Amino acid sequence: MTAAAGDDRREGDGPGDAGGPSQFTDPERTGGYAHLLKAVVYRDLLIWVRYPLNAALGIFMGVFFFALMFYGGTMVAGQAFSDSIEGLIIGYFLWTLAIGAYSGIMNDIQSEASWGTLERHFMTPFGFGPVVVAKSIAIVFRTFMTSAVVLVVMLLITGTTLDLNLVTVLPVATLTIAGALGLGLVMGGLSVLYKRISNVANLLQFAFIGLISAPVFDIPWARFLPLAQGSAMLQRAMRDGVRLWEFDPLTITVLVGTSVGYLALGYAIFGLTTRRARRLGVLGDY
Amino acid sequence: MGREPSTNGQARDDERPVSANDGPPALDPDEAAIYVDGLAKTFGSGEDAVTAVEDVSLAVAPGEVVGLLGPNGAGKTTTIKSVLGLILPDAGTVRVHGIDVHANPRAAYEYVDAMLEGARNDYWRLTVRENLRYFAAIRGQDPDAVADRHEELLDHLDLAAKADTAVRDLSRGMKQKVSLASVLAGDISVAFLDEPTLGLDIESSLKLRTELRRLAEERGLTLVISSHDMDVIEDVCDRVIIMNEGRVVVDDTVEDLLAGFETRGYRITARGGSETALADLEDRFDLTDVQHTGDRLRFEVAADTATFYRLTDAMEAHDLDVASVETVQPDLAEVFVEMTNGTADPGGTSEEDGSTTREAPANRSPASERGDRR
Repeated sequence: MTAAAGDDRREGDGPGDAGGPSQFTDPERTGGYAHLLKAVVYRDLLIWVRYPLNAALGIFMGVFFFALMFYGGTMVAGQAFSDSIEGLIIGYFLWTLAIGAYSGIMNDIQSEASWGTLERHFMTPFGFGPVVVAKSIAIVFRTFMTSAVVLVVMLLITGTTLDLNLVTVLPVATLTIAGALGLGLVMGGLSVLYKRISNVANLLQFAFIGLISAPVFDIPWARFLPLAQGSAMLQRAMRDGVRLWEFDPLTITVLVGTSVGYLALGYAIFGLTTRRARRLGVLGDY
Repeated sequence: MGREPSTNGQARDDERPVSANDGPPALDPDEAAIYVDGLAKTFGSGEDAVTAVEDVSLAVAPGEVVGLLGPNGAGKTTTIKSVLGLILPDAGTVRVHGIDVHANPRAAYEYVDAMLEGARNDYWRLTVRENLRYFAAIRGQDPDAVADRHEELLDHLDLAAKADTAVRDLSRGMKQKVSLASVLAGDISVAFLDEPTLGLDIESSLKLRTELRRLAEERGLTLVISSHDMDVIEDVCDRVIIMNEGRVVVDDTVEDLLAGFETRGYRITARGGSETALADLEDRFDLTDVQHTGDRLRFEVAADTATFYRLTDAMEAHDLDVASVETVQPDLAEVFVEMTNGTADPGGTSEEDGSTTREAPANRSPASERGDRR
């Protein structure tokens, strides 16, 4: 795949075609979307490892809060708490994934804007959309890696075993956090427009707990909330060993529909906010 | 969109006024590397509305290096960001190599990139080479395929020895050069550079200027440089566009712009004469910086051609022997200040369109007649 924006080019778009006095020749595009994705994922990982303390603290805090809950809960509720530990681990794992995706994309957009590199990502022949999608994929990839470490440590601490069928867990978890990614894009777009929105953004992280634990079997409409349907499916997959193909089609349809829907809605709002930021002249200002 | 953009400096007629927004265009939209017509942008509304740019028109030829100058708040950044599609203008057409930037941004971005945030234009945690590879990739390049060109770029910018050093560990000047390199890494034909020499020492600044000229001459790179360093503009740019209060007030070649101000004065040294003679001259002419020591009289005088000859006649009448005449030539900084401070108007401002017009200076300067330009 080559020439990212080549499809958009018209006949005679190039300066040579215009017959101008330029000695310049059309830029040669040697890369495509695959190079874009590889570069964005690689950059994200490089930046992550080059803040080693921050990276290590992120994982440590994830484990620390779980340990606090686990030992605190065991002391208070004893066996009753231990009986529900699998659900807690799965919910916490999904929460770290959702928070990672949500805050990852939001912080990335915010830091690019404040640092001064956001505008350069806007000015690419690929368009801003594919760059943001590539960033989202990079963040989801990194979030899976860190959350997997937290999950393994949680299982070791509690001595619990879960069914980790990757063919089921990976697509369900990915689709589930797509909704969180959509919310992250909304908040990222709002941060470009309004700059300081950390209070609202942080509040939403706690709302994720409610969404992940929403009783979708008791309240049918709750399954249309972000994270809720995927959370219920992940519980069944990891605790009860239900495979992806064993879920009924309606359940999967709702998962795909809500995930894609919230992601698309988030992207659309992100597009509107960045357009508004361009109108106000604040796209790269912080 | 009534008026056409101003001509570019390359095709300038000597009789053409200095201003933009007048005269026939030398370039049509498809020939120009950058073509802006009737650009307008107002931020806010009602009483809080601030007009950032108003009816800005300009055209830059491929391979041309243009300096964009103006005091703070003149509208430079809004103009540049509107050309780049980062700000949505209220009115106007913006084309890069004939492509409408706002209608078809992806195609336009094949050609253009910008260094808008100085050294903060790239990632300081990445190495120099990693930055180049990253920004090449997001601009549609396979970093491996263009690695040789990146090495060449690093060599030219004296960054080769630091290629694998994290940008944060480099000096301010080096960071600035990495920023420029990351812009050029993507094989572009039009670059907007905001303060490219900021933070560079004199030697680095000179090298960078040479490199910018080389890029323009050898690669046909079109450059628009916004800088407060007048030496950079004077050394590197073919043409200067000066903005003030949201409008283009000057659009001319550097050479002609400076030449246009040569006649603002002369420094004359003479021998002989008396206090009476000096008093008479001071009474009749606008003498400044007068030094009268013994037999030697030295002064500066603001004068056009006719006045200059009347002065020399008067000096002859007072038995003053003219020993030397030097033109008092301003540098670009003085020209800039004069053109933007609102008090000095070299040729008058049209009430209708705000454009400044000035007589072609080459025809009235004795210095020019003698070929005495610097």
